[in-house]
Amino acid sequence: MNNKFMEFLENMLLPVADKLNNNRYLSALRDGFMVALPLIIFGSIFVVIANFPFLDKVISEEAFTAYQNALGPASAATLSIMGLFVIIGIGYKLTEHYEGEAIYGGAVALAAVLILTPQVLEGVSGVIPTASLGAEGMFLGIFTAFIAAELYRFFVQKAWTIKMPAGVPGAVAKSFSALIPITLTLTVFLIVRIIFSYTSFDTVQNFIYTIIQQPLTELGSGLPATIVAVLLIQVFWFFGLHGQIIINSVFDPIWYALNDENLAAFQAGLELPNIVTKQFIDSFLVGMGGSGMTLAVIILIFMIGRSRQLKELGKLGAPAGIFNVNEPIIFGLPIIMNPLIVIPWLVAPVVITIITYFAMSTGLVPPPAGIIVPWTTPPILSGFLATGNAWQGAVLQAFNLLVVVIIWWPFLKILDKNYYETEKKGESK
Amino acid sequence: MKRILLACSSGMSTSLLVKKMEEAAKEKGMEVEIWAVAQDKAPSDMEKADVLLIGPQMRFMKKKFGKVAEEVGIPFDVIDPVAYGRVDGEAVLNKALELIGE
Repeated sequence: MNNKFMEFLENMLLPVADKLNNNRYLSALRDGFMVALPLIIFGSIFVVIANFPFLDKVISEEAFTAYQNALGPASAATLSIMGLFVIIGIGYKLTEHYEGEAIYGGAVALAAVLILTPQVLEGVSGVIPTASLGAEGMFLGIFTAFIAAELYRFFVQKAWTIKMPAGVPGAVAKSFSALIPITLTLTVFLIVRIIFSYTSFDTVQNFIYTIIQQPLTELGSGLPATIVAVLLIQVFWFFGLHGQIIINSVFDPIWYALNDENLAAFQAGLELPNIVTKQFIDSFLVGMGGSGMTLAVIILIFMIGRSRQLKELGKLGAPAGIFNVNEPIIFGLPIIMNPLIVIPWLVAPVVITIITYFAMSTGLVPPPAGIIVPWTTPPILSGFLATGNAWQGAVLQAFNLLVVVIIWWPFLKILDKNYYETEKKGESK
Repeated sequence: MKRILLACSSGMSTSLLVKKMEEAAKEKGMEVEIWAVAQDKAPSDMEKADVLLIGPQMRFMKKKFGKVAEEVGIPFDVIDPVAYGRVDGEAVLNKALELIGE
């Protein structure tokens, strides 16, 4: 690969990354998920504890049920209704971006979603179905939060607010200044709800789910789309750009929705509907030492590295690599712009995606159970946790590491030899 | 007391640098405060810093951070990829001090 071509590619990618990242909706979406993340992880911890392996065999069935019921609310109040927190986060962050009263932006987004949500469940009224705040309502929630925050801003900027005379306490004045914009915004959503009740979709929720969410998640759960996403992450990183943060902002709604569907099935003891989920990517691809599964590269350096440069890098990169932080390897090997390394860099993740997908679709390894494992969880452990405490998940990760080691072997060998010879030449001079 | 703020996607890889930079500063006998944050927290932390440096993998956010840094009135740059890969605390510390104008 010549430099001109590389330069050309970088000049194409940088604006794309810039656009994706600086797009205010994608930024708000990413930061909105960040708001939900600590809660999601809290819920996940208790799903893991509630499903400890062999526990159901050690204690009586009754005691096990009581145990699970006692821990249930932890995930029911967080992980299962993560959409709720994402909605507030998006409304807040988008309004903050416009330098408005962020907390009202979050509140108005949540209220708008609730207005569009059917408050009836199997004939019982006065309830909010939790499913509409989880996987099923994810897309409706995201779109509604965007639109609600936009409308709120629009009405605030139109200055149709009640001006308070000087001397009125600030908080009082603020609550009044938000009154008209919020009233107008929510009225719009109420009208939308009423209009939809006359269509065959009945609810907006149903409309978004059927027209947008289902086709998109179906596409996103497939192997081809997943390979494309994985390759894009790798290509961005190859140019030293943070691939996940760029690609996740597009794929996260899909991956999280798929994740929550699996969680619901896992907790109900049903067959898991999806293979590709947030955790498929986070535990089985990124969670193997970082993007590009560089823990295998570190292992390989310890196995065959002779050059001082690589040995030093291995020592430097190993402690962070175990926790999936791999910038030292990416910039130090270096992986970026390295024409020799581009081959294993792109090939290995695709191979692992395919292996993992088929290991799960054939039933050899259970699919991810919808538990969100923090991405800094070391491999082997993360595979075990992500699959709902299944040892097969850990074994699959170990096997995948071995595959990556084999793919990288010849390339790292050449790189190491080059470094070694340069070092020797430097010494003999 | 110089206050140096580092930022990357979640403040993980830059926190590796923090330790090395602190060691380098100690050797120089300098008093510095260095901390790493996730990119979404960087704008609010800038007020407390004398300089902002971001990881090279975040350089697509250069425009965004540049604008905020200008508003806050602190110097700002992207960390050199080679120094970043080596977790070269001294080089990055020198860069930060140079930007502050020491």
